[in-house]
Amino acid sequence: MRISWPAGGHITVSTRASLNEGDQSVSYIEVRDLKKTFTVRKKREKGQFFRQKDLVTALDGVSFSVGKGELVGYIGPNGAGKSTTVKILSGILTPESGSVRVGGRIPWEARREHVRHIGVVFGQRSQLWWDVPILDSYSLLKDIYRIPTGDYEARLKELTQALQLEPLLRTPLRLLSLGQRMRAELCGSLLHRPELLFLDEPTIGLDAVSKLSLREFLRWENKENGTTILLTTHDMEDIAALCSRVMVLGHGRKLFDGKLPDLLEQYDTVRTVSVRYEGSAPALQLPPGVTLSAEDGSLSADGELRLNYAPAQMPTAQLLALLQEAGTIREMTLQPENIDHLIAAMYREMDL
Amino acid sequence: MNTFKLYIRSMGMLLRSHLQYPSSFLLQTLAQLVMEGGEMLMVILVVDRFETLGHWSGGNLFFFFGMMSVSFYLTEFFGRGVTGDFPSMVRSGRLDTFLVRPRGILTQVLCGGMDPRRITCIAVGAASLILGSRLSAVVWTPLKVLALAESILMGCLLILGLFLIEACFCIHSVKSVELVNALTYGGRSACQYPIDIYPHPLRILFSTVAPFALTLHVPAAYILGSPLYGWPLWTVYVTPLSGALIFAIMTAVFHRGIRYYRSTGS
Repeated sequence: MRISWPAGGHITVSTRASLNEGDQSVSYIEVRDLKKTFTVRKKREKGQFFRQKDLVTALDGVSFSVGKGELVGYIGPNGAGKSTTVKILSGILTPESGSVRVGGRIPWEARREHVRHIGVVFGQRSQLWWDVPILDSYSLLKDIYRIPTGDYEARLKELTQALQLEPLLRTPLRLLSLGQRMRAELCGSLLHRPELLFLDEPTIGLDAVSKLSLREFLRWENKENGTTILLTTHDMEDIAALCSRVMVLGHGRKLFDGKLPDLLEQYDTVRTVSVRYEGSAPALQLPPGVTLSAEDGSLSADGELRLNYAPAQMPTAQLLALLQEAGTIREMTLQPENIDHLIAAMYREMDL
Repeated sequence: MNTFKLYIRSMGMLLRSHLQYPSSFLLQTLAQLVMEGGEMLMVILVVDRFETLGHWSGGNLFFFFGMMSVSFYLTEFFGRGVTGDFPSMVRSGRLDTFLVRPRGILTQVLCGGMDPRRITCIAVGAASLILGSRLSAVVWTPLKVLALAESILMGCLLILGLFLIEACFCIHSVKSVELVNALTYGGRSACQYPIDIYPHPLRILFSTVAPFALTLHVPAAYILGSPLYGWPLWTVYVTPLSGALIFAIMTAVFHRGIRYYRSTGS
C-alpha cells in the first residue's frame, strides 16, 4: 500500500528558528486600518454629459503586523487588494487613510529613505535592462543604490552562487528563459541587502524545478540574512513550502491571519480520497458525510474509487480504517481541497 | 555629481541597447535625416520664394530654424524619457520600478530614455545654424557665443518643462493627452520662424505659456544684429531664464502629481 500526500495537506510547516526571534514582539511592519479606493471612470452613456464615476474599494480597513525575519504569505483571489497592499507598503501608492510604519518609516512620505531598505520583485514586470548583459544591469543598480564597491562584489558573489547565475551574467536579459529571468530579478532586488523583500507572484509561470529551487533560495535568504519576506501568490504550495504564517485577503478585507494548518482546518470542509483496490472494488456501505465524487455514483473509468468526505463529520483515521476493512488497498491518495475551494468556502462563511 | 555620473552611465547603457540592432538603428537614423531635411527644405522654399519675411532676411530665417532645431532635438536626444517614453513608462509599470529605488523620479525618468537617432536632426539644425550665420554675416564675439549657448540650454529646459505637462496628465489618467502637443510640437513648428511675423494672440502664447520667443528669439535676434522689439542688451541674457522657470514650475507640479499616481495592474 502506498499513500501519497500531496503538498498542501498535512504539512508540518518548517518553522525555521528565526534569527531574530527576540524581535518578534516589536513588529517591523505595522499596518492599521488601511483604506484605499480607486475612481474608475465608466464609459459615457447616451444622453449623459459627464461620465459616471465608480468608486472601487481596493482596501477596506486592513490591519496587521509583521515581525522582523518573518516569512509571510499573502493570498487572495484576483482583485482582492494584495498588490495594492504591496504597492502602499513599498511607497508606490498613497492610501486614503490608515497608518503604515515599516521599520518606523511611513513609506509614501519618506519614499527615498524607505526604498533604500526594501527590495521588490514584481512577477510580471522587469526591473533590469532588457538589451544589456545582466551584469551591466547590476553594476548600474550598484550606482543607483550607492552600494560601496567591496560590499557589492561580496554580495554579488554570494547571490550569483546561491542563484546559480554565474554562467548567465554576460547574457542579455531578453535571451533568458522565464525561470532564469526570475532568478536574475531576485539577484537584482537583493544586491543592496534589503531588510524587507516583497515578492509579487514570484513563481508565476515557472516550471516545477525552477519553483523548487526558487523556494529553496528564499528560505536560504531568509535564514542566512534575516530578510523579512512578504510574498503574494496564488500558489498554495509556495505558502506550504515557505511561510510560517499566512494572511488571506478578500474584497479588501483581511479574512484570516495565522498558521497554514489552522487555515486548512478551519475551512477545509470537504476532502477527496481516491482508493484503488486489488481486483474489483468491493461494495461499500457509505457512512454519513461521505459521498461518491462522480455525480452518477459510478466508479471512475480506471477502477478508482473517489470519495468526498467532511473531516469534521468523519475523521480521516476512521474513514481509512473503514476503507481498509472493505478489501486490499493497492493505492490510495488523499487530497486536500485546493486554494480556490478554500477561499470560496471562506467567502461563503464570511458572507461576502 | 553622483547623479550626473549615474545619468552618463545610463546613457551609455541605453546607447549600447540601441546598437544591439545596428541595421534598424542605421535605417531609423537615416529616416530622421530625411524627415528633418524635409523641414529645412520648407524653409529653403520660403526663402527662395519670398527672400525676406517681415524684416528678416533669408539667412536670418535659417538661423532661427537652426536654433529651434538644435534645441528641440538635443532635448529629444538626451531627454527622451520625458519627451517620448513617459506614457509607456506609466502604462508598462516601469514607473513603479522607479518608485521603489532611492533616487529622484525625474532623474530616473531622464536616465531611462535617450534617442540617439536624433543625431541627424541635430546635424541638420547645426548646418542650418552655420549657414544662417554665414549668410547673415554674423561677427561672433564671446558675448554672442555666450548668448547662443545660454539660449540653447534654456530652450532645452523649456521643452522639457512643456513635455512635463503631458507627463502630469499621464500620471493622472494613464493616457497621453494630444492637446499638449499643440504646445510642444506646435511650438516647435511655429517658433522655427521669428515671433514678430505672427499675430498678437500667438505672440502672447509663445511669450508666456510656452516662451520660445523669450528663450530663443530674443537672443537670436541680438546675435543677428537687430534686437527683437529693440529691447536692450541685458534682456538677451535675462529673458531666456524663463525656460528654467517653466522647467522648475513643472518639476514641482510633476512631483506633486506623483502623489496621485495610481499605478496599473499587478
